Amino acid sequence: MPGTQLLMTFPVTATSHSLADYRARGGYATLMKVLEKMAPQDVTKEVAASGILGHGGAAFAAGRKWAVIKLDDGQPHYLCANADEGEPGTFKDRWILEHNPHMLIEGMLISAYALQVRNAFVYIRGEFDLPYRRLAAAVEEAYAAGLLGEGILGVDFSCDLVVYRGAGSYVCGEASGLLSSLEGKRGYPRNRPPRLTVKGLYQMPTVVNNVETLTNVTAILALGAEAFKKVGTPKSPGTQLCSISGHIARPGVYEIEHGYPLKKFLFEDCGGMPAGAKLKCIIPGGISTKVLTAPEIEPVTYDHASFAKAGSSLGSGGMIVIAEGTCMVRLLQVMLRFYHHESCGQCTPCREGMGWMHRIIDRIVASRGRPEDIEQLYQISRWNDGNTICGMGDAAGYAAIGILDKYRDEFEHWITHGRSRFDGNLEVVGNA
Amino acid sequence: MPEIFINGQSVQAADNQSVLEAARASGYYIPYFCWHPKLSVAGNCRICVVQVEGRSWVEIACNMPVTEGLRVFTDSDLVKAHRKMVMQFLTLNHPVDCGICDKAGECTLQDYHYAYNGAPSISHEPKVRSTKFHDLSARIVLDNERCIVCSRCVRFTHEISKSCALGIKHRGDESLVRASEDGALDRDPYSDNVVDICPVGALLSRQFLHKARVWYLKPTPSVCPGCARGCTVQIWHRKPEWRLKALDPKQNARIDRVTPLENPAVNGPWICNKGRDLAAILERARAEAPMLKGKPVELAAAIDAARRLLGAAKRPVALVSSWGSNEELAAFKSALSARVDAFVKEDSTPAPGERLDDDLLIRADKNPNTTAARALFAQLPNPAVFPADTDLVLVWGEGFDFARIPAGARIIFLNAWLQPENGHADVFFPVSIQTERPGHYTNFQGVVSAFEPCFPKPPGVADAESLFAALGAQGQP
Amino acid sequence: MKHLIPEFEKLKARFPKGFESSLVLPCARRIQEDRGYIADSDIDGLTEYLGVPRMQIEQVLSYYTQFRRKPIGRWHVQTCRNVTCSMRGAERLIDHLARKLGVAPGQTTPDGRFTLSTVECLGSCGTAPVVMINDAYHENMSAEKVDALLNELK
Repeated sequence: MPGTQLLMTFPVTATSHSLADYRARGGYATLMKVLEKMAPQDVTKEVAASGILGHGGAAFAAGRKWAVIKLDDGQPHYLCANADEGEPGTFKDRWILEHNPHMLIEGMLISAYALQVRNAFVYIRGEFDLPYRRLAAAVEEAYAAGLLGEGILGVDFSCDLVVYRGAGSYVCGEASGLLSSLEGKRGYPRNRPPRLTVKGLYQMPTVVNNVETLTNVTAILALGAEAFKKVGTPKSPGTQLCSISGHIARPGVYEIEHGYPLKKFLFEDCGGMPAGAKLKCIIPGGISTKVLTAPEIEPVTYDHASFAKAGSSLGSGGMIVIAEGTCMVRLLQVMLRFYHHESCGQCTPCREGMGWMHRIIDRIVASRGRPEDIEQLYQISRWNDGNTICGMGDAAGYAAIGILDKYRDEFEHWITHGRSRFDGNLEVVGNA
Repeated sequence: MPEIFINGQSVQAADNQSVLEAARASGYYIPYFCWHPKLSVAGNCRICVVQVEGRSWVEIACNMPVTEGLRVFTDSDLVKAHRKMVMQFLTLNHPVDCGICDKAGECTLQDYHYAYNGAPSISHEPKVRSTKFHDLSARIVLDNERCIVCSRCVRFTHEISKSCALGIKHRGDESLVRASEDGALDRDPYSDNVVDICPVGALLSRQFLHKARVWYLKPTPSVCPGCARGCTVQIWHRKPEWRLKALDPKQNARIDRVTPLENPAVNGPWICNKGRDLAAILERARAEAPMLKGKPVELAAAIDAARRLLGAAKRPVALVSSWGSNEELAAFKSALSARVDAFVKEDSTPAPGERLDDDLLIRADKNPNTTAARALFAQLPNPAVFPADTDLVLVWGEGFDFARIPAGARIIFLNAWLQPENGHADVFFPVSIQTERPGHYTNFQGVVSAFEPCFPKPPGVADAESLFAALGAQGQP
Repeated sequence: MKHLIPEFEKLKARFPKGFESSLVLPCARRIQEDRGYIADSDIDGLTEYLGVPRMQIEQVLSYYTQFRRKPIGRWHVQTCRNVTCSMRGAERLIDHLARKLGVAPGQTTPDGRFTLSTVECLGSCGTAPVVMINDAYHENMSAEKVDALLNELK
């Protein structure tokens, strides 16, 4: 076990997601305590004091986001859990939705109470079917038990929760794209200002938080901010659910206490490389984070500062392990094809740039690469960085630059010789 | 009222302005494609960037609120490099077929290419192809290859004309502007405004398609006579120095297109499609000869005959045109109103299904100068009722059913158009139209707007203003 | 889609007042579940029921990958082609499926049984390669397993 566990604290069984099992583990006791003993502002203070950083990839302090909501502004406030989980390599929120949905619901209720939210939403990607059914069933259980709806637990606090299904668009994982979709439209991200906490869903103040962040709210209020801060590191309190996949012996979802040594996680907790394979590099937190080579991960601990120091980012917690022999040109090709497919098309640099990068790398792979292609990929990446409506343009750029910086020789090889320096096959490690 | 600094100079901004608006208001030019003063902010073209002092990055100005003391630069090296970058992206898949594109000469993409880039594309990829000559509606052609997906057209139909007829389908670089499948764009009487606001040659008017190069054309200010709103317009026609001797004189004196003349007091930057189709009204066949009961005569003879009829009439009635200009109406009043009972007639009535009063521009009164006419004369009752002993009716302008004229009454008729009634009048005068003389209309709100001549009068045609003076002059005919 | 309106009324009651526009996605999904795709008449009906511009619905149906306006095969075989799945055999699997079914991705078998598609990350990378058939995820796939699976689907 990679450190203290806050969320994955029980063995998964056929019923561990049910209300009965959740209650047996102490579930909803925290909500009761909060409703009886705390004022909404105190809850927000506790969340701020915990120092928790958002788990969706941006690592924005949840307390800072919440603080923008004015409790007495006379406007409806909305809370939305981001369960769109579309970042390739990421499947950790899915664990919560399938196995611990009530901890999310409890966390959302505590948050709704803090932010004076009457209507809360979970936006779940359309492709997730079992997670949706588990969550929807949990919501029905909660309503039946008086944990949702009017007068929750007999207290003067009411909250309705709607689970809203997406329909296949990666940018709906971006908070403003999510809200556009929730309004029944295309998932078009929005320019800021205004911030969503000022004008969000239907132009009302809205807090969008990742599923894992809201689930952690339950833990924070259960333990208290001080005890929560003792887990993890000072700058990265608490834990991170990490979904690990790729060329690794034991892929899956793990809860890592921040500060846990990365190498230990990979080679002990996850069983290391599959037989006969050597580690080449990892994508730390979703494909939008820069790759770290085997030597580079040596000193890294699983927290934001350590990843930043290594030149990458903890990201969305979706780790992909890549073995020696994998062609990085082909890997980047798959990524650029993905970004091209997912661009919403609103803004000039991304709409044109994603297709451009995809076409360049397709041409390299088709043995028609030119020496200037590498510099063009850099150029397009830099041109997108910071110049788009949402972070997808930046993300594609980081993915490309990260791989080009460290594996430029593989691109030069393909351009010069018309083929991969390996066999071009991404399936380096055989599948069962 | 914050004070901001643009390129080091103090600028007084208004509350709730964006930096782009404040800059424009003070004479600083920041380029933009997707921004429009009358539409919501889209912020997607990314060319309107400025650099805030002290920051190492640029930000779009259309969505940057002014704050007290804000210091921005509109022409730093970073801003310039960024603009070149946006131009590179926009011309990546753009066909650059200016040689066959109507927008050439008034195209923002062309203008900015020269102002901010001037460099060929660095791309080695074949351009992405898309639909050309897509019939967005019966009136509008769309070339998706030229489209930069700025969404101005979409926002116009949702926010201004409220037809919600346009949208962007699919996503990424496969995004396509399309009209809704229920034909709403065909039913939107303001649809053609999207052709004006399209910054590139993507949306084009079918009636102007491949008709003329804009640099051979001159816009003359005029007022649309289609309804009582009196939108100011520009009538485009060949510049005098570009009259081609080889061409039929009619082509040199042709309305090539009509576009809005921006007017904060009346129509803003918009007009309706009827105004676009003014040629259909103003280029109808003209009456060209004065006549006595259908027999062409010299003008002097016609005037003579008309004065005789006026002198002899005991109970003359005049039906005044609601298309008469302020000047013509005043001339009628001064020359003739003492001697005839004058009533204002409705030259034009709404066609079946034509939109009546709406929330934007269109008025149910389909005449341009009812207001000025009614200030001078009474409205003709409907149905028309003439005093019992009416023995002369002077009809000015089209649209009156001659069957309603009392039997036995003599008729003096002033009309621009070649119509059968012309021959039934005892005396007929062909008159000029608004494109042939200067004048003013007064709209339903009392706003007076001017129109200027752009074409010579056809020979034989008189100005109604001088006719009235001649008809009303004292002394024996 | 008119027979679904009672259901939509119940759904509408769960949203705050004024959220009619939000109903576009869930109603479209339910219509597609019912008919197999969304017909032009469904768009007309939904436009009328929700009071949103018809273009909003047309845009939504064209923007999201899961909505379709034409029928497809009974079994929609959607194979992830993203990073981890490709690293664990998805490319071979897609080739295998294309050969086995005799169609290219995007096409439907002549007997109307299977439509083959390639899709982006399904959020199941730990059990790659993943094939989604209609609503269900089939994880840890291989050529043999997918053959066995398809044999069961009539």
